[in-house]
Amino acid sequence: MSDNVPNIVEIENVVKDYPLGKLSVRALSDVNLTIERGEFLAIAAPSGAGKTTLLNLIGCVDTPTSGTVRIDGQSTSELNDSGLTKLRLHKLGFIFQSFNLIAVLDLYQNVEFPLLLQGGLSRKERDARVREMVEKVGLTKQLRQRPNELSGGQRQRVAIARALVTRPMIVLADEPTANLDSTTGANIIELMRDINHAEKTTFIFSTHDPMVMDRADRVARMADGKIIDDGRGGAVGAA
Amino acid sequence: MAAAARSGPPEMASNSSISLGLLVRLSLRSIFAHRIKLLIVGSLLSFGTFLLVFGTTLLANVERAMETSVTGSLTGHIQLVSLDGTDQLAFTGPDAGSDQDLGVIESFPKVKEAALSIPNVKAVVPMGRHVTIPLLGNELDDAIQELRDAVDAGDPALTARLVRKSKRAIGLILDDYRRRLTLLSNSEEIEEAILDLEKAGSDELWARLETEPAEVFEFLETRVAKLGEGPSHAFIPFIGTDLDAFAESFETFTLVEGEMVPKGHRGFLFNKTYYEDVFKNRIARGIDKLHEARSLDGRLIDRDPALQLQVKQLAKFTSFVTRQLDPDDAVELERKLDELLPGTEGDLDRKMVALLELNDENFDRRRTFFYEEIAPKIRLYSVKVGDHFTLRSSTKAGYPKSINIKVYGTFQFAGLERSAIASAYSIMDLMSFRDLYGLMTVEKREELDSIRAEVGVAELSRDEVEDALFGDVDDAEEEAAEGDRFAAFQLPDVESDAAPGADAGAGGPIDIAERVAAIAGSEAAAQESQQETFTQEELERGTVIHAAVVLEDPSGLSQAIERLNELSAERDLGFKAVAWSEVTGIIGQLIVVVGAVLYITIAIIFLVALVIINNSMVMATMDRVSEIGTMRAIGAGRRFVLALFLVETLVLGGIASGLGAGAATALTLFLGNVGIPASSNDFLIFLFGGPALYPEVGLLQIGIGLFAIFVVSLLSTLYPARLAARIEPVVAMQAKE
Repeated sequence: MSDNVPNIVEIENVVKDYPLGKLSVRALSDVNLTIERGEFLAIAAPSGAGKTTLLNLIGCVDTPTSGTVRIDGQSTSELNDSGLTKLRLHKLGFIFQSFNLIAVLDLYQNVEFPLLLQGGLSRKERDARVREMVEKVGLTKQLRQRPNELSGGQRQRVAIARALVTRPMIVLADEPTANLDSTTGANIIELMRDINHAEKTTFIFSTHDPMVMDRADRVARMADGKIIDDGRGGAVGAA
Repeated sequence: MAAAARSGPPEMASNSSISLGLLVRLSLRSIFAHRIKLLIVGSLLSFGTFLLVFGTTLLANVERAMETSVTGSLTGHIQLVSLDGTDQLAFTGPDAGSDQDLGVIESFPKVKEAALSIPNVKAVVPMGRHVTIPLLGNELDDAIQELRDAVDAGDPALTARLVRKSKRAIGLILDDYRRRLTLLSNSEEIEEAILDLEKAGSDELWARLETEPAEVFEFLETRVAKLGEGPSHAFIPFIGTDLDAFAESFETFTLVEGEMVPKGHRGFLFNKTYYEDVFKNRIARGIDKLHEARSLDGRLIDRDPALQLQVKQLAKFTSFVTRQLDPDDAVELERKLDELLPGTEGDLDRKMVALLELNDENFDRRRTFFYEEIAPKIRLYSVKVGDHFTLRSSTKAGYPKSINIKVYGTFQFAGLERSAIASAYSIMDLMSFRDLYGLMTVEKREELDSIRAEVGVAELSRDEVEDALFGDVDDAEEEAAEGDRFAAFQLPDVESDAAPGADAGAGGPIDIAERVAAIAGSEAAAQESQQETFTQEELERGTVIHAAVVLEDPSGLSQAIERLNELSAERDLGFKAVAWSEVTGIIGQLIVVVGAVLYITIAIIFLVALVIINNSMVMATMDRVSEIGTMRAIGAGRRFVLALFLVETLVLGGIASGLGAGAATALTLFLGNVGIPASSNDFLIFLFGGPALYPEVGLLQIGIGLFAIFVVSLLSTLYPARLAARIEPVVAMQAKE
């Protein structure tokens, strides 16, 4: 796909059910949402409203029960596991609530890891890319430290560097500040915001932190598995 | 959405060619991050490899040592045996002691020619395995014989000395019988013996020696000699062979004493170790054994209960020295013992007992004393090199046969001096063997044929005889030779009885003339029939029981066996070729048992390792769900995860097995330098083919060890790796650090 597709993410009539024994629980109900390139979008909802499920669908770690999720024009339902893996590797970056750094790798290696998975770059190119990202998140002095030697904020910065090192179209962040104190959280959001401005990378993050919502271009609000406000001035999706 | 419709985005580069370097790096980090796993799994794999490599290396070395000791001394690499035999040839174990029906190889020259046509065959040695008993006198017999020789030679000084020696020996035996009389209630025989011994010790009898020597010797030989302590009637296992070919083909064959039996002569060569063990004076042999244990095995009498027991037992055999001494020697020895052991009370026997109270401090001095002062005064071996002695065996026909044969020397196989297998058999010429075994020589066969022709006797098979007796009379008449029909089946019938299991139709190996002679009680007649010299042609033309094939290159064993069997079938030679390992009997199969025990132990360890590694990896997978989920979320495919787990175990397996194999190799190298002592343990000496095993590192065993670990690692990780590969990326979103 190319930049001429205006919406980087298109969600149409998406339903997601999870089996629970013989029953099934509906996590998302007829969700519609479009996200433009370069947006800094917050998905705000109380716990259990379905915002992580929605991020999972956008992040291609899950597929909808019905409806369509298109990433850069590609419907995720049409891809097999290998296709979804490649899509995640090349077009998406993830920032997890619990940072999810690989414990046995040091800072540098954690950031380098997605590049190694991608392949195609020389050692020198990889090194330049990793150092550039580490510099952006301000951790050049901690290059050889293991995750357990870093603070929460530093870990989340590593996670941001790792998410951005492959130069993805979209970075998904699931409550990126939830495990951080307010100052560190604000710094992290500022960092994401700066990168969003500088790189034009689309940021989609879930949060229920009003301070974070304030920093977003747009806030889509969810309740009970539905988008109740897409942040463009009205409720979205039919009942 | 149907799975078939799903596909990968075509515009994106594939990440399937994941660098092995990344996997190895990740694996190493993961291994060292999980130290408990590293310790448990690593030690298990390491120990497994060590055991496998060291065990199989040791086994291969033991096998090689046994092979060398067997093939280099007795069997050659291949044995050729008759197809007619019903038993399997066995050189060791219980079967070797039994009367085996092995059939005979009728035309050895043709067999030899066929075998030598194979380039890898170095030599073919005709053989026959049998057991014999030497007919030996006791010390009194020997003393009386010496005396008789002196009287015959008319040497009064020697006669007088030997009379004193005999009287002394008789006196000592008399003391012994008087002691027995006090202990036993049934004393009639003892009283009679005492009367004879008293008479033999009286001056009156010896005064008659000059005037009536025949009567005196008759009394001594028939009434007195039997009262002496008899020698042990040891069985001598021996191989009848072409002695020159034997010595030449078995490269380590070494003549120790005496000389080789001259070509074309009958003669006997003792295996040195057997000769020492069985024919040497018991005290001298006991001292030798203690000396070997101390000097070769580094054992100490003071610390070794087994050696202390041997020392204690020596004291029981003083009579093996004291009874052999003449009075002058006895007096001299007693004086020397008084010098060596001042203050020892009692008679010569008591002083000998005191001499034999050996310990590490006095051993060397007393051993020197024994060999310098005592050995020259006694008969050190009951049969000496250069002596003629009589051997008696049971022939295949079941009657006893004796031959008188000269002992030309003793031999051993260099490097295998203490190998039980290599020391098992003595050797004699093939012609004498044929006499003892009851095989026909060419001349006897011709003689028998001429007798048959003379009396009009034909050789018939059992069927023919049955036909002649019960079947069609006309047929029998046609097949039978001319003459009396009764006589016609007499001889074959005798042959058939004489050789149970042997193929009477093939001519029968049994010498009928000898059997007739033996039945008539005329062993002398049989002995007279011995030819003193023979030609090489006569040696080879007669029947042999089996033959050893020595190869240039032992690694071509199976091909040589195959080719030999082909040649036998093509040329109708009636033999089959069997590998050395098949003729070593049940003892030879011990190696298989030892190997089986080792492999079962290793298999159990590996099975345990497999389960433990599997469990440990499953647990590791569970612990790493979040990590794997994260990897999956940021773009790692299932194959990457699968490969990651497999490489992780292989790297661990590689390091652990490398350490294990390294330790095994280091230990093997060390032991190869210092040797593993058999410590006088007969079983170990047998296994090691000598007093110590010097193992060599085997690349094959290291290869097998590493490969086995590779397989175990792979198998044990397959399930957990598949489990890990199934982890969905979505779990990363739920993960809590």
